[in-house]
Amino acid sequence: VAAVATEEEAARQGCCWAELPPELLREVLARVEASEPRWPRRRDVVACAGVCRTWRGVVREIVRVPEVSGRLTFPISLKQPGPRDAPIKCFIRRHRATQTYFLYIGLTDALADTGKFLFAARKYHRPTCTEYLISLDKTDMSKGSQTCVGKLRSNFLRTKFTVYDAHPPHAGPVVSKRWPAGDYPVIQINYEVNVLGSRGPRRMNCIMESIPVSAIEQGGTAPTQTAFPFFNPKSSRMDSSITPLSSQVESKLVLKNKSPRWHEHLRCWCLNFHGRVTVASVKNFQLVASDESAPANEENDDTTLQFGKIGKDLFTLDYRYPVSAFQAFAICLSSFDTKLARE
Amino acid sequence: MTAPTMTSRSPTSTQRSSPRSLSTARSTSSTSTAAAAPAEDLKSFDAEFVKVDRATLFDLILAANYLNIKGLLDLTCQTVADMIKDNTPEEIRKIFNIKNDFTPEEEAEVRKENQWAFE
Repeated sequence: VAAVATEEEAARQGCCWAELPPELLREVLARVEASEPRWPRRRDVVACAGVCRTWRGVVREIVRVPEVSGRLTFPISLKQPGPRDAPIKCFIRRHRATQTYFLYIGLTDALADTGKFLFAARKYHRPTCTEYLISLDKTDMSKGSQTCVGKLRSNFLRTKFTVYDAHPPHAGPVVSKRWPAGDYPVIQINYEVNVLGSRGPRRMNCIMESIPVSAIEQGGTAPTQTAFPFFNPKSSRMDSSITPLSSQVESKLVLKNKSPRWHEHLRCWCLNFHGRVTVASVKNFQLVASDESAPANEENDDTTLQFGKIGKDLFTLDYRYPVSAFQAFAICLSSFDTKLARE
Repeated sequence: MTAPTMTSRSPTSTQRSSPRSLSTARSTSSTSTAAAAPAEDLKSFDAEFVKVDRATLFDLILAANYLNIKGLLDLTCQTVADMIKDNTPEEIRKIFNIKNDFTPEEEAEVRKENQWAFE
């Protein structure tokens, strides 16, 4: 009798909450969201969105995209442009034995800490190229996996790379006819030797196929995916979830690396990484956004993506609008892979 | 300033919970010249006030909303928010007796999201 009484009591305790008026449910869930800006506690917000349909709807209304909030919440926020002001600070751990790379967002303001896992990438050697498969599951980086969000592929010489998105960045049937399902090229990365040859830092540029130049102009926007169709193959949201581009022939955004300055006294090439990079390496870079036709204004442009070494197999990655975590990670993987210029 | 006592005539109270007085000696006027209670006393008063069973807490939220008592609404909503924290979706459903009404496809999406979030 005692056990039944406890169950009845438990039912009585909880029975009315499903009838909480929506505006009051919103009050509660808004407080959960506001009080957990950082990981790992931010997972409470994701948990709330997994309770029932009503809670999911409310949470998804409350949570704002990283561009506005500066916060990562659902996995899809890793595919969305970063914040317009301060960058999102992440770090990468390289695991040489398994040729695997793990991207984390920092939990604190330290250069690296325990971190919250974002992506994993595994390197695969193919006969004519190398490929990195990027996944949301650190235990599953196999081709065709449901958690695979995209990949990076090099050319034979490892001087040119293409980033493929498993998810269409643009709406419309034109794109899906051109590309096989699950392989949408979104970035072209080129590495070139400096005019000084291998004695100078290499030049890199990234053509962002899915981001128009207008994205960095006043009032511009970058395409923002809102759902993962492969999480839910029967979802009909794929077409409506993508912000359509006004014109496919618009100029593409190009990211170029800032040229380091030769520091005569220190006898080395230097960039100001604002304390986020502490070990000299040819892999370190800062990318700025520019119009394809104009050269990067290296003095005034804010850095869109910054990557650099802080320890053995440990690197920081900071990214901002209009680049997403996925795009930033893929670009940095190419920096590991390219064989241009000796270290 | 005191708030009205909750009675059985209030549309938000139920037969189950005993009427709970909402009167408080707390001064809410910033221009009051009378000594206001120290902050830590107010905090511990608030904490004790919401140490009630979940059914009563539910009634308090509805009452605060109906009677438009912002301070009480803030306190009770924050209490519920604190109850939600550090739980999986299934645990939250148990606490609040909420039915899982996702389709199998939505459930799969939720599972993958939470797998990543709790990684």
